[in-house]
Formats: sequence, C-alpha cells, structure tokens
Amino acid sequence: MNPFESFRMSVRAIRGHRLRSVLTTLGVAIGVAAVITFVTLGASLQADVIGEVSGGQSPSMTVSAAPDQNQPGPAGDGQAVFTEHDVDQLREVEDVDAVVPSGSVPVSGLAAGGRTLGYNQLTATTPPYFEYVSRADFQSGGPFEQGAREVVVNEPAARLFPGNVSVGDTVTVVRQDGSRVNATVAGILAASEGPFGNTPLPQVFVPTDPFYDNSLSAPSSDSPQRVYPSLTVVATSFETIEAVQSDVRGYLDDESDARTLKPESYELRVQTVEDLVDQIRDLLDTFTAFVTGVAVISLVVGSIGIANIMLVSVTERTREIGIMKAVGAQNTDVLQLFLVEAVVLGVLGSLAGIVLGVLGAFAATEYVGLPMTFPVEWGGIAVAVGILVGVAAGLYPAWSAAKTDPIDALRYE
Amino acid sequence: MSDVAPAVVLDGVRKTYQLGGQPVHALRDVSLRLPRGSYTAVMGPSGSGKSTLMNLVGCLDTPTDGRVVVDGTEVGGLSEEARTEIRGSKIGFVFQTFNLMPRLTAAENVALPMLFQGVPGRQRDQRAADLLDRVGLGDRTDHQPNELSGGQRQRVAVARALANDPALLLADEPTGNLDSETGRAIMELFADLHEAGNTVLVVTHERHIAEHADRIVHLLDGGVEREERIAEPRRPTAAGGQSAGGSGGSSERSVGSGGGDGS
Repeated sequence: MNPFESFRMSVRAIRGHRLRSVLTTLGVAIGVAAVITFVTLGASLQADVIGEVSGGQSPSMTVSAAPDQNQPGPAGDGQAVFTEHDVDQLREVEDVDAVVPSGSVPVSGLAAGGRTLGYNQLTATTPPYFEYVSRADFQSGGPFEQGAREVVVNEPAARLFPGNVSVGDTVTVVRQDGSRVNATVAGILAASEGPFGNTPLPQVFVPTDPFYDNSLSAPSSDSPQRVYPSLTVVATSFETIEAVQSDVRGYLDDESDARTLKPESYELRVQTVEDLVDQIRDLLDTFTAFVTGVAVISLVVGSIGIANIMLVSVTERTREIGIMKAVGAQNTDVLQLFLVEAVVLGVLGSLAGIVLGVLGAFAATEYVGLPMTFPVEWGGIAVAVGILVGVAAGLYPAWSAAKTDPIDALRYE
Repeated sequence: MSDVAPAVVLDGVRKTYQLGGQPVHALRDVSLRLPRGSYTAVMGPSGSGKSTLMNLVGCLDTPTDGRVVVDGTEVGGLSEEARTEIRGSKIGFVFQTFNLMPRLTAAENVALPMLFQGVPGRQRDQRAADLLDRVGLGDRTDHQPNELSGGQRQRVAVARALANDPALLLADEPTGNLDSETGRAIMELFADLHEAGNTVLVVTHERHIAEHADRIVHLLDGGVEREERIAEPRRPTAAGGQSAGGSGGSSERSVGSGGGDGS
C-alpha cells in the first residue's frame, strides 16, 4: 500500500480518538520540550560565558608554574620562577608583541583620606598590563609609569576610602615591615563584570619597579633579579598565537631560568585563552549533558505512552484488522498502517515539543537573564527523535497487529 | 457453462482442528463445484461445518486434506501472502454483522479493497461511487456507518464486496442482523447481482433465504448431506418494490441490534 494512503488512514484513526491522541502526544511533547529547553539553556549559558571570557581578548597566553596535575580551571598563582632574563628572552620570540610579568606584593595595609585600612596584597605588574591583560577601561587617569611611585586602583578599591580616592591623591602603602611608602594614584579602572557576572573585588596595581622585590640569583646571571609567578605573553595576532605558544613552550623547556628554578613536581604551563575557553566549554558541556539526560527520561516515558496506547489501539481494532485482512490487506499493509500511526503521533509530539521547548527556553533564559542561543540543529534532532520514538514504540504493537489471524479477528467482539 | 472453469472447486476437502489435544473433524470429505454465474446456498445447523467451509472458500484458511481451487488457483499450498492476494482480488465478502470500517465513509469502505490492490485514487473514487449507485446508495457516499441504517450498511458491504470484480461473492448470513423486510431487499439485491452474472454463495440456516438460490447444499456433521435443486428460486419482487433501488427507503429501519458492526 502507498505510504501516503497509510498516512491518511492514520490521521483518520488519530482524529477518531482526539483526547487520547492529544494526551499521548503530550507525553512526547513534554519530553522533547524538556530536552530542548535544557539544551538551549545550556547553549545559551555557554555562549554567554564564553563570550564573556573570550570577548575583547587579546591574543595572549598565560605562563605559570603549577603542581603537575591535570586540573581544569584558570591557572592560579604558582611559584615565582620566571626571571627578568626569561621575560627579556620571551620578548625576543618571533611574533611576540609584549610580555607582561605580574606578581603579588604582600602588604599590611593602605591609608588614604585619613584612614588606614587593612589590606594584604597588591598586584605588581608593568604598564602594558592595562593594554593587554586587564579588560577594564580607565575611568580616569591612565597607567602608572615603571619606576615611579604610582598606583592604579580599580573602582571598588577607590570606594574603600572615605570620599573615594581620585587621580592625583596620595595613597600610603604600609609594608609588612611597617615602613610606609607614599604613592600617587595614576589612574582608576572602571569596574567590569567578571566572566560569571560577579562584581570584581577591589584591586590595587603597582609597578614592579620599585614595589616588587621578589628576587633570586638565577642561572643566567649571578646578580639577583626579579622573579615572577606568572607572565602574560601577547602574540601579534590570533593567527600567530599557536606558533608563539609552541615557541614559548620550547624556550621554557630548553633554555629558561624557570626550568631550573621550578620544583621537580611542578610543570610550566602555557595556557592560551582558547585553552581556558575549551576548559569552560567542557565543564558546561558536562553540565548540559547531565541536565539533558534528566530530560531524556521524560522522553522515554513519553514513548512508553505511545507504545501503550498503540497496544490498546491494536486490541481495540482487532476486528478492523480482521476486516482489512479479509478484503485483501497484507501483513505489511497492516504493519505499515500502525507504524505510520505511531510515527505520526511521535512526530506530532516532537513538533509540539519544539514549540513548547522554545517557549520554555525563552522563559528560562529570560528568567536567568541570559541572551537566548537556540541550537538550530536540535529542531532537526527533535523531529528525528519523534520518528525514532514512533518507530520504537510502534514496532511491537504494529507487528502484533500484522500477525493477527483474520478468522479470529473477525470473530472478535 | 460447463466448458468454462468453475469459480470454485472443492475436491475431497477435509479440515481437522486440534482442540485441547482432541482432533475435531469440522469437514470430512466435502466435494463441491460452483460453476460461474451460479447461485448456491449452503444450509445446515450449527456445527455442521458452514463456517469452516466459508473460511476455506474465502481463502482465510487452508484444508487439512483435499483441494480448494478458486478461479483456477489451488489455495492449499499457497503462502499466507498469496492467499491474501486471492482474497483481495477474487473474493467478495459480505458478513452478517456488515463489518464496515467505522471511521471510514461509505465510499471509503467500498474503496478499501481497491486500496490494498494498489488501484490509483481517482479510479477508486470513481468505481466506489458507481458501485454505491448500483446498490442504491448514490446519495450516501460521504456518510459514516453509524449514520446509516442496517440495510444501508449491508448495501455498502455488498458494494465493497464487488469492488475488485471478484470471481465469487461470498455471503455469510447476510440477512441475519436485519429485519425481514430489509432482509428481503438485500436478497433482492443478490438476485439482481446474480442476474448480472455474478457467482454467489450464501451461507445461511434459514430455508427461505436459501430458497433464493438455484441450488441448496445441505451440510450435516461436516459432510454434504444432500444437494437440492430449486426449480423456481424465490424472487422477492412480489413482496417489496420493483427493484433493489430504494435508497434508504422507508422500508429499511435502522437495526440497533447486535453491536456487531465493528464500531
């Protein structure tokens, strides 16, 4: 029999049991909708987070030394092993735009506007930091100068002090030995949101010279020189970033001071923004897969609903099956008829599920406050799943319908 | 008509069922010829083997022994698929309980056997309309079975049985669920169809229905008891109207009995 004829007959049968068909379809629809909602939510979250992390980024990589573990997440401050010599050598690597060292300066407190606050660490770096690494704009003023007694604070830090410090004010740094160093505020960074939508903590930046005094005698020279726990290497473009990454890697492994200064159990890491993005993506994929897995359960329940109703339908229509067979319907015709009916129910359910799912995803992303990113391929996947669910759920009932003996079926009351 | 192959030949047919390990002989050595264009009735009490005979002639079942030949094809050795094919193309069934598909219209019910034979849609619709016209239901084509009276339903069933121009019209108690007047109209329809050249086999246990045929085969305990020639077959023209026309006429009341019309 022509499949189109089966389709017409199936639609007739489905419409003949309106309420039952709607309820059956609803089971699949809810399953598909749940899957689509969660997948969309996951995709939206991912797009948002990755957009935040990689948005406006320079083609940079972070160089650090950390315990030899395959742990995900951004590299934290490791051991200070990168010397000034390393920094200079890395600057010479082809296609490197800048190398920005950074480290922390432990202090006891800060004083400004007549108040002294407990404060335990400053970030020491060089002026290119503000161009390449920090993603915040200057609200006022500009970067400090190397060798000058100047500081840059971010907005939350500026607000710590009564009357808010502003550019040109003096901030007194109380070092751990109790000595006090006066510095001028060179610039104030605007507060920017972090990748997860959190507000940034107060931060105070100082130039490595004169504030940072972590130093060691390194293999490359006898005199002590500054050592940093982390460097940011900026490539000239995203196209060259991979080549730069491998060159940096090569230098660190073969020639650097860092390789001799680091403990055996530590490894030198060169992590690009891409690597970080990949890690976050992996993490969110796992999260999405988990939530989607939960939603798939409801889809399975929905398909059991179809199987159930098709079985009822076959029993109920035993006599009709007998009639059809008496007037010349082959087993394959009967099989096709019931299978098409199950598939139609499945597809109707998944179409309704797409609509429900998109609405649900819209509501959910709206509620969480994310821009919605709909993974279009899931529309196709949902329809495919609908067909699959229909076939899987309809196969046994259709087969048992096809196997019905016409003599018994005609006698069936 | 002896030079033409008969529509149906039964030759030494035996049918034995196993019922709880005990063999039940439904038919023992039945031989029967239905020449083309003949009108035969099979009579017998319950348990005489009427239903088994019907199932065999209708290719719903195969004999344990002996030959069943329908329109020149022996049914015994055929696969289920091949028997279904013969059923669809060479047999037209009319049941006591009408057995119409409840959600299909009269026209769609009539077109159903053609659907399974792969007749194109337009041709199906045309023939279904013609056949319904012929049984006097030209104005009821879009009605569903539950909107039709018992007599009308049986007319739809007769039209459906004729859909693929079968070699044999096989009717099982066609008036069993109808009141006598409606039954008479249906028998009139069969007479007309016989007149038009169709081969008809009616299975019944009512003598006055059987007398419409030109031959009655009496079954008893699974065997042919005797064959009876009817010199002057009963024709219902005296009782009712002129022809089988009467589309939904006043003589046909809806029969609500039996719930057996498949709904």
